[in-house]
Amino acid sequence: MVDLPSPISHGRFSELALELFALQFKYNSTYRKICVARNLTPATVKAWTQIPAVPTAAFKGLELTSIPPPARTAVFHSSGTTEQQPSRHFHCAESLALYEASLIAWFLENVPADLRLICLTPPPALVPHSSLVHMFDVVRREYSLPASAFIGQLARDGSWTLDFVAADNQLKGSNNSRPPVIMLGTAFSFVHLLDYLAAKDLCFNLPEGSLVMETGGYKNRSRVLPKAELHALITERLGVPRENILCEYGMSELSSQAYDSEIHPLSSTRHPRIFHFPPWARGQIISPETGREVAEGETGIIRIIDLANVFSVAAIQTEDLGVRRGDGFELVGRAPLAEPRGCSLMNA
Amino acid sequence: MNLPNYFLADLPPEATLSPMMIAAACHTLKRNREKYLLTRTTEDLVKILCEVAVEWLQPENKFRRLALELGPEQTGFSQATLARGLDAFFRRFTPENFQALLAQDLGADTDRHFWHGPGLLVHIAAGNLPNPALMSLTLGLLTRSAQFVKCASGAALLPRLFAHSIYDLDHKLGACLELAEWRGGNVALETALFAEADCVTATGSDETLLAIRSRLPAKTRFLGYGQRVSFGYVAREVLRDEDISKTVSQAADDVIAWDQNGCLSPHVFYVEERGAIESDEFAKRLAVELANRESSAPRGNVPVAEAAAIAARRSMYETLAAHRGDSKLWASQGSTAWTVVFEHETRFRFSPLNRFIYIKPVPDVAAVLPGVDEIHGKVSTVGIAATPEKLPELARQFARWGVTRICPLGQMQNPPLTWRHDGRPALGDLIIWTDCEQ
Repeated sequence: MVDLPSPISHGRFSELALELFALQFKYNSTYRKICVARNLTPATVKAWTQIPAVPTAAFKGLELTSIPPPARTAVFHSSGTTEQQPSRHFHCAESLALYEASLIAWFLENVPADLRLICLTPPPALVPHSSLVHMFDVVRREYSLPASAFIGQLARDGSWTLDFVAADNQLKGSNNSRPPVIMLGTAFSFVHLLDYLAAKDLCFNLPEGSLVMETGGYKNRSRVLPKAELHALITERLGVPRENILCEYGMSELSSQAYDSEIHPLSSTRHPRIFHFPPWARGQIISPETGREVAEGETGIIRIIDLANVFSVAAIQTEDLGVRRGDGFELVGRAPLAEPRGCSLMNA
Repeated sequence: MNLPNYFLADLPPEATLSPMMIAAACHTLKRNREKYLLTRTTEDLVKILCEVAVEWLQPENKFRRLALELGPEQTGFSQATLARGLDAFFRRFTPENFQALLAQDLGADTDRHFWHGPGLLVHIAAGNLPNPALMSLTLGLLTRSAQFVKCASGAALLPRLFAHSIYDLDHKLGACLELAEWRGGNVALETALFAEADCVTATGSDETLLAIRSRLPAKTRFLGYGQRVSFGYVAREVLRDEDISKTVSQAADDVIAWDQNGCLSPHVFYVEERGAIESDEFAKRLAVELANRESSAPRGNVPVAEAAAIAARRSMYETLAAHRGDSKLWASQGSTAWTVVFEHETRFRFSPLNRFIYIKPVPDVAAVLPGVDEIHGKVSTVGIAATPEKLPELARQFARWGVTRICPLGQMQNPPLTWRHDGRPALGDLIIWTDCEQ
């Protein structure tokens, strides 16, 4: 078990963020150009909230990294439709270690240890560019429980599907047996699984204490279900109660994730279903009109400063909309038309 | 609102519509048509429509005042945008313009007993801007059809006010109109409505049109108007000192009309290079003009998701501009009110609208056509600024390519009554003829 990450004061966070900004300005020439064009440099930026954020779409056409090409050992791509150029987040051994340290610390803070993993994604070897699957694999190693499984596979067009035979076996093997399991996957993978179970008229009761973690959107890979409906179906077909279903918010451009876990020790004092990043990352909800942070309860664009993004860019402007709730946010959805289907604006 | 309850759309929001109410309303409409509408002459109907328009153009007219008072909240357009849009629309309502429409679509001296419109004409209106619904009602009156307008959810205000203004002037004509509002796809209500309809017109996405068409009885005619996009073209000959102010002002007119929300609004202006004033200078001047217009005719409030789309697009172009000197961005500060993007990429871009316009330099019109290839068959209007000498050849090229409407820059959102909607005669398509061979 990793130590509970201690809260970082606002002042300390700002210090660290500004220090990192100065480093990235110095060593990441692509980022530096963006900052200079906006007239925001280490000389003019005085608070972490002023650090220029890079749109996630910029990771498609630009190499936003300070890792020189020979030192790059891995690259994570954004998921999406195949005709689009994906985002590229480059890693070296050191940055990957940082990603892993960041993800596992906050994961374990939000999810109890020692659950048997059932991942609805293809195994890491099949999808080496998925930061999500890499994360699941890191968790698998951390848990060190036998019989964890990846039950997703790749279709001929490269899209993710499920191995339903494997799913059947895993679910049957988990019925009322110890230890409890955690089933991890994207929302569309869960729809694929639930549709299969409905077609076969199958219901399972995963062992008490089992969890489900869903993440990400649908990306035209299944029918789209409202979150409440998806969770109700998970409860119905897998026997996992609503309070044991958590959502993850992450992306290939980041090294930290947010969870809306209600299992978190602090969750009783928090709004339900509110996403929180670890202490080393902060999400802000920005008004698209004014570019400033919105007031409590208002909707805006989610902007993240992730101090674990040391070798790329810490300040990221997403295309997602959120509602500001206390020190967290509620996820609303994606800004429409940010990039029309089938054409990438950032193809330089 | 001080409007009497004449139409279903006037009922308080808590009132629930039932299929029986819809069927009963259709039966009443058909009876009223027999009694009050079939006997009217076309001249008489034109006269009344022109009178209605004259009323709407009076600052003190109660329907106009209600539209301007309640419109910003209910439609999302500012008062100035509503006033400009409604004025431009109603100024087209003159006896001469109606005569031109009748002559074009029906022939000048056609005996009205040898053509008739649908008995009950149903319109499924889209919600983005009010003009199309008002025009549909106008055409339906000319064909002496009873009419039922299904307004988009939250978009009934202007059609209601227009229908009330007709009722106000001529109760009997008003009794041949019905309006109701519900979220599209309500199968029970729509089945009741479609069962009574002789002809259904609909405006919306391809999916919406397909869904409606698949649910119509075989006897019912269907006229679907799908989503279209538009763009502008500026020839280098008008990019000189003596013309530039006018050209820029016309371009701004097209961007601000209905906050760019209709199928006829431009996403992109293609601007010829090597004019006395260069294309990037044109873009810069358009930005200045849009800033000025924001003071005189501000953009309406837009939903946060639409503002976020603009903000996201702007930040991409900011990033791009930092790395490539050939693209530029001008944008309102502290708001998403207006945005001009200049880029050399000639491929058509869908704008996030709400006064967000692309300027793309091109050597000539031949360079535009490959760029708009992916929207072929989906283009409504091309607004052109060119000298009279150059215009005919430009128009010919765009027509050959498949554009259905070419108009002067500045008039893109202001089609004449004779406009053939997506290339089809809007009035003529409603008509059933009686051929009487000698």
